[in-house]
Amino acid sequence: MNDFLQYTLNGLTVGAFYALVALGYTMVYGIIRLLNFAHGDFFMVGAFLATGVLSLLTGSGLPSGLVVVVALVAATAAAAALGGVSARIVYLPLVKAPKLSLLVSALGLSLAVEYGTALSQGTGFRSVPHIGFLSAEHAIGLTDGVRLTYAQLGVIAVSLALMIGLYLYVTRTFTGTAMRVLAMDQDAARLMGVNVERTIMMTFIIGAGLAGTAGTMYALYYPQVNFLMGFLLGLRAFTAAVLGGIGNIPGAMVGGFLIGLLESYATGYVAGRWTDVVVFGVLIGVLVIRPSGILGERVAERV
Amino acid sequence: MENLTRRLGTGIALTSVALLSACGGNGSSGGDDGSGPIRIGVSAPLSGDSAAAGTDIVNAAKLAVKKINKEGLLDGRKVEIVQVDDACDAQTGTAAMRKLLTQKVVAVAGGYCSGAVIPETMITDRAGVPFIADASTNVEITERGLKHVFRTIGRDDKQSEFAARYMVEYLKADSVAVIHDNTAYSKGLAEATKDTVKKLGAKTVFYDAITPGAKDFTSFLTKAKSTKPQAIYFTGYYADAGLLLKQAHELGIDVPIIGGDANQDPTVIKTAGRAAEGFTTTTAPLPDFIKSTADFVSAYEREYGTEPGPYAPYEYDAVNVLADAIARAASADSEKITEALHATKDYAGVTGPINFDEKGDRVHPIYVTAVVEGGAFVPGKKLDESGNWVDAKG
Repeated sequence: MNDFLQYTLNGLTVGAFYALVALGYTMVYGIIRLLNFAHGDFFMVGAFLATGVLSLLTGSGLPSGLVVVVALVAATAAAAALGGVSARIVYLPLVKAPKLSLLVSALGLSLAVEYGTALSQGTGFRSVPHIGFLSAEHAIGLTDGVRLTYAQLGVIAVSLALMIGLYLYVTRTFTGTAMRVLAMDQDAARLMGVNVERTIMMTFIIGAGLAGTAGTMYALYYPQVNFLMGFLLGLRAFTAAVLGGIGNIPGAMVGGFLIGLLESYATGYVAGRWTDVVVFGVLIGVLVIRPSGILGERVAERV
Repeated sequence: MENLTRRLGTGIALTSVALLSACGGNGSSGGDDGSGPIRIGVSAPLSGDSAAAGTDIVNAAKLAVKKINKEGLLDGRKVEIVQVDDACDAQTGTAAMRKLLTQKVVAVAGGYCSGAVIPETMITDRAGVPFIADASTNVEITERGLKHVFRTIGRDDKQSEFAARYMVEYLKADSVAVIHDNTAYSKGLAEATKDTVKKLGAKTVFYDAITPGAKDFTSFLTKAKSTKPQAIYFTGYYADAGLLLKQAHELGIDVPIIGGDANQDPTVIKTAGRAAEGFTTTTAPLPDFIKSTADFVSAYEREYGTEPGPYAPYEYDAVNVLADAIARAASADSEKITEALHATKDYAGVTGPINFDEKGDRVHPIYVTAVVEGGAFVPGKKLDESGNWVDAKG
């Protein structure tokens, strides 16, 4: 029972990261039908920037809580800016081009960001400074031997807050509505006065920003960064988006947490070396029964 | 998908290496036509997870060549390094070897990940080019009867025996957990350790593989913890070890954690912080544990401004023993070099005297434990000739 609780907590924490990154995949796919391969790299850039800020400010005498907040804001802003700039330069000129051109551009951008980072930051692992209140000693004891660390609590809470915020933004604001309209029919949206370019840019900015936030928390939680770190996580997050129903925001959240939990239970109750087999086996099973993903039922309304 | 991106990436890296080396030499002259520089290939992971170790290996090779060229080798011909990135990957590695062969290298000294070196050595052996492995410890490398394969480092079966005896005899553990990462090196070491643990009368209560790069091992460790091992042996690589230690600490796992020689890297300590204290590795003696490597260490530090990594002295020796063989053969012909290598007798390397047995393995490699104390690896224990555990220092 204790082990089950521990597996669940671990799964939820990992799932929170997957869900946050999956949101970016799903939003972009919903709007311009693009699998944005570079999305995992926005996450990586966020993690690197956060590491830089943390290294700079740790030991400067500022309270560690403030340092973490500064790192979060800076990395989120930087990743969002990168998302906006890449949308402007790489994706917007190709919106009307064949989908394959868009896809290859995304792959190219991904490699450019990865190896650009490798050239400027080196190919090795960089360690992230340890923050006192996020260490193992600060935890809430749940039952005998099972503890929820402040770090885990923080990851899950921040992710949930951002997901709810995003859902409200997309359903309640004008830009959010424009995104949903754009997802249904780009030409009709343009005729109805939606600024298509601006809305697409906004989608990239928000998605990349969320990835930047996830990157910061990831760097704090798993304190080492590397230029290829976005790849494996991006792959899992993309899987989560597909499992939940690509293009669907609540679907990305459900998919993210589900993949996290599945991984954790598979490791715990089957074996570590079988984790990927179990997780991707379930993915195939779900897609065979529900080809559009768990929540991807209403194909008409994406995002 | 991962493979595709990685391959594209290394493709770019390979092309640039090829361009660089094409511009570097005078192109047409090969190693065996008796003029121009003698080319020695160095393959190592220069991108990806193990890039830090790979860079270190290339640096050590360059340092050796600098010394060799100063002393002069054969008919006043210079020695030249041709470096390639094998990305720790079998496919990239074989492509890198073909590239080296077209560059007419007379021999290869290098390699890091056994998973890449195993196929690489098949290619070089077929071409009759000797390959001296400096860091790859998988048994299979020298077990296939390949005539042109050597290594300056010990083999996994020797290390696993040392690790199992350390856990069962020195730590007096009755039950151990063995964790690997499914790569050739890691799995080979883990399997051999499991066998030896059984022979010594103890039990392996947990045996499983992590996914390298997965970052979150908490569920994995939760399960390992529930089997109540008295010691844990991790045979994977350093990038994962730091996170593994940190998460084990967070889960309240307080039994000794021991790592294989691929964990001998400061990254582990930087990542795990205080959770790294007490972490022990089974390893070939580190540069600063052996008196004979002191000169090498200071030369390396003067040249590069950083400490050499754990395999740098073995690569340095690999290139030097190769130069020694070229000098003794009085030829840059690959077959003659191979014969001379087999005839090596007590070459005074910085890691101790070097002799190769009939398989090409180094005779009598020494193992020690290194323990993290106060944020750095310090010498732990070793076995003396009569099988007693003594201090490793000295």
